[in-house]
Amino acid sequence: MKKGLILFLAVLMIAASFTFMGCSNKEAKAGAPQKLTVWCWDPNFNGYSMGKAVEVYKATHPDVEIEIVDVPDNIEGKIEAGLQAGGAGLPDISLFQDFIIEKFIQNYPGAFVDLKAEGIDHSQFAQYKVAPMTDGDKIYGIPFDTGSTGLFLRTDMIAAAGLNPDDYQKSMTWSEVIALGEKVKAKTGMPLIAYDNTSFDFLRIMVQSTGTQFFDKSGKVMYDTPAVKKSLAYIKEMDDKGILFMAEGWNNWVAAFNNDQSAGLMNALWIIGTLKSKPENAGKWMVVPTPLVEGVANAQAASNNGGSSWYVLSATKKKDLAVDFLKSTWAGTTPEALGFYNEILKGAGAMGTFLPSRSGSNYTAKDEFFYKSQAVYKDFSAWMEKVPVLYYTSNYTAMRTALGNAMQAMLSGNITNVDGVIEAAAAEYKQTTGN
Amino acid sequence: MAIVRRKMTPGWFILLVFFVIGALLSLFPFIWMVIGMTQNPNDVVAGKLIPGKEFALNWQKISTTYETVSFFLNSMKIAFITVILGIAVNSLAAFGFEKYPSKARDRVFGVLLLTLIIPQMAIVIPLFKEISFMKLLNTHAAIILPSVMSVFIIFFLRQNFKMFPTEIMEAARVDGAAELSIFVFIVIPTMKATFASASIYMFLTQWNSYLWPLMTILTDKMKTLPIAMFSVMRAYTIEYGGLMILVCISTFPILVLFLAMQKQFVQGLTGSVK
Amino acid sequence: MLKIHNRYHRYLNRTGWGFIAPALLFYLVFMLYPIGSSLFLVTQKWRGMSREFVGLGNFVRMAHDQVFWKALSHNFLFMIIQIPLMVFLAMVIAVILHQGIKRFRGIFRTIYFLPVVTSLVAYSILFRILLQTNGLLNNFLLSLRMIAEPIGWLNDPFWAKITIILALTWRWTGYNMVFFLVGLQNINKEIYEAAEVDGASQVRQFFTITLPLLTPVILFSLVTSTSGTMQLFDEPNVLTWEGGPANATMTAALYIYRQAFVLNSDFGYASALSYVMVIIAALLAFIQIKVLKERQ
Repeated sequence: MKKGLILFLAVLMIAASFTFMGCSNKEAKAGAPQKLTVWCWDPNFNGYSMGKAVEVYKATHPDVEIEIVDVPDNIEGKIEAGLQAGGAGLPDISLFQDFIIEKFIQNYPGAFVDLKAEGIDHSQFAQYKVAPMTDGDKIYGIPFDTGSTGLFLRTDMIAAAGLNPDDYQKSMTWSEVIALGEKVKAKTGMPLIAYDNTSFDFLRIMVQSTGTQFFDKSGKVMYDTPAVKKSLAYIKEMDDKGILFMAEGWNNWVAAFNNDQSAGLMNALWIIGTLKSKPENAGKWMVVPTPLVEGVANAQAASNNGGSSWYVLSATKKKDLAVDFLKSTWAGTTPEALGFYNEILKGAGAMGTFLPSRSGSNYTAKDEFFYKSQAVYKDFSAWMEKVPVLYYTSNYTAMRTALGNAMQAMLSGNITNVDGVIEAAAAEYKQTTGN
Repeated sequence: MAIVRRKMTPGWFILLVFFVIGALLSLFPFIWMVIGMTQNPNDVVAGKLIPGKEFALNWQKISTTYETVSFFLNSMKIAFITVILGIAVNSLAAFGFEKYPSKARDRVFGVLLLTLIIPQMAIVIPLFKEISFMKLLNTHAAIILPSVMSVFIIFFLRQNFKMFPTEIMEAARVDGAAELSIFVFIVIPTMKATFASASIYMFLTQWNSYLWPLMTILTDKMKTLPIAMFSVMRAYTIEYGGLMILVCISTFPILVLFLAMQKQFVQGLTGSVK
Repeated sequence: MLKIHNRYHRYLNRTGWGFIAPALLFYLVFMLYPIGSSLFLVTQKWRGMSREFVGLGNFVRMAHDQVFWKALSHNFLFMIIQIPLMVFLAMVIAVILHQGIKRFRGIFRTIYFLPVVTSLVAYSILFRILLQTNGLLNNFLLSLRMIAEPIGWLNDPFWAKITIILALTWRWTGYNMVFFLVGLQNINKEIYEAAEVDGASQVRQFFTITLPLLTPVILFSLVTSTSGTMQLFDEPNVLTWEGGPANATMTAALYIYRQAFVLNSDFGYASALSYVMVIIAALLAFIQIKVLKERQ
């Protein structure tokens, strides 16, 4: 029996040591000076784009190794944990959503490298992207992509309603869009726009097109603005008239416009990849500018949804290398750097916000997938110039959760008017933030 | 062809009908995801149940983006080591709590039960600090060590050890067996079903764990399967067909494990107490 | 004689501590220490690098936070309705599998275990597709004329709660079934044979033999399901989009997660919320054990 016991204990010991040795720290070589780590979250989108930038840099710096790590979810939580642990496990460079970065800049002073001081010329980027990363005279990031928006419409369904799609290939106001929706609905029974009830995107696009946000200058939440009220009223009107396909979540929303249950959608250009996953729809889609919110000062026929930027974390031991890498690729004016911007537009549908890069051939190319081979990227790029400067402030997520919930209550009929929505949102915001 | 062991009464018949319907409901999602592997993303979201022809394409998309094989092996390694260590540590503890009763140990057990309820995210930040202090970030040990001790498993094993007759232990002691060897040579072999299900649950929990590995793993070569699944889910263009392939890959090992352990459920304590 | 007896007792006592020592070590390092070190947080208002002592401020704030209380009430709602339903189903299925049928046992056992194995990702997508307003379930019910208009399984605050209950039952019944199977496996067959000889009916056997002997398993199932429901996170997070519609399926654990990592990153407030949950859970566990002990 003793033997068996010893055997049992031995198995335990082996298992234990296996745990420690088998997965012991292999990153000792991370101390090598020529290696950078970058975090981002979609290997086919921003990961792909960063990969192209790395190729450009490696052509002139063959001894530098840059590892791109895909952090699919909760990248902010992970960075937060790292910052709390004094910089442990953090990458040298990370991608952040534009609407989230202000929270980090405010809560973690000094966590990011001031790239303006490192000599990057931010005037070469779309200015609406630079605003959120600016704090006083410091500018912390390098803008990546634009979420320039448009209204996507199915020309075949408009034609089926007895209308000529060409008449609508122009900048419209929301009233005109509603009129079009009513005609399409009356003739074909088809709702004009697929609306994702679980998402904040639609309202965000509308409100941001007026150049305002949901906060006042001091960072206090402000739901009761003409832009918010007007946008909510439009959404309610469209819902009442049956112009919206009420989708429940992303998959239902994608099915709604890819599987012929609605005649269009409004979102940013990065949705094109999803449209193209249905090759049968080639030649049927057209894109028109974001509809205009009438009666609100400074409203534009352009807006933004999504978009992110690159930041160098101060905890890095290789600041100079990280800055040099970003500077000579994402802010580089060499033909190679401009060429990679052109390449990622085609390869990933990612449109950069570095202004000199917009002369690339893919920006003006006609796209066979769209109605009459519309040069969609040329249009989105032009609309991007008109996107108003945006500030998100550090409570953006709490704000959008509260307003999104109140809006859901409106669309399910539990709140019947716009003022009620604003009231409910303000109440929930106060409770969840404690101020 | 008697499927049923008893006399067929109307009540029994109705019960059986519901039993079969319940089985069909359980089976359906499984069939759906196997079909989903072969479909175009748009057919997956449409909920179609006819197999498509895009398996090769879906596989190609997934395997070029993710190192599926390496993720799979990492997940396997982490889950297996957790089960081996976990079963050893937890079964000893459960046996200690149950068969060596004392007031003090019962109080300790009460404290353990209390912490069963604490949401994992409440301790993520302090635990992360601790792991980084131990220089274990980006190691598989960072995932394994915190999940070795499981109050749930100790509780489960303890409830089952209640059914192990103490008389057998007494008899073995009279024969001069040491306490640990009673456990290893008598208890473990007689309670195979219990140990099998505890192993399955530990494996399952670790195999599917997501939030904590996401926090502690910093490089692609150390990643696990659930991270890849969420990566597909969070993409700007979601490849639903490819996602279903990952889902199936992550489902089958547990299924195989369960089937392999099935035979343990058929044996039992029968005849151990005469 | 007494001396030997005492020494033997001490030996057994030491053995008992020895057996639980490794588990306690892991517990101290990876559970108790992190929990303890987050205890002081409950008095802090925490934003990033700045911390401010607020005393009981977080608890005052909590008192006014209707979203949290609503979330907690959902936990209780799910607990009261879903757990008895599921534990009962699990027991019935286990008994049918164990004693009721002769053939295809292995197959049925595996099939009932499938939902446990099916990954959260797959099942959440599928349930969304099946349950959407124009989805298969509504179409099916409409065609049978069981309902007059489509039900908002995911859109309507009431039906979304039903959806969570159904989804939980679907996913976890097979899980609990295995515990009951193990319990049945550990019951000596001879007891049944003796009852058979005495002429006890099947129903009677169930109530006089099976049910009492399964009490430890029922207790286990109830306690762990309760703690699982108190920690409920996955289903409302992925199936009804972060506790939607309009917080109708928000749960306490999901809300704590959102407070810590999504909304404000205020770990102080999140910790205070967690400790309140622990206290509530402790009371619950206490009551459960008391009640079941009295029954025995």
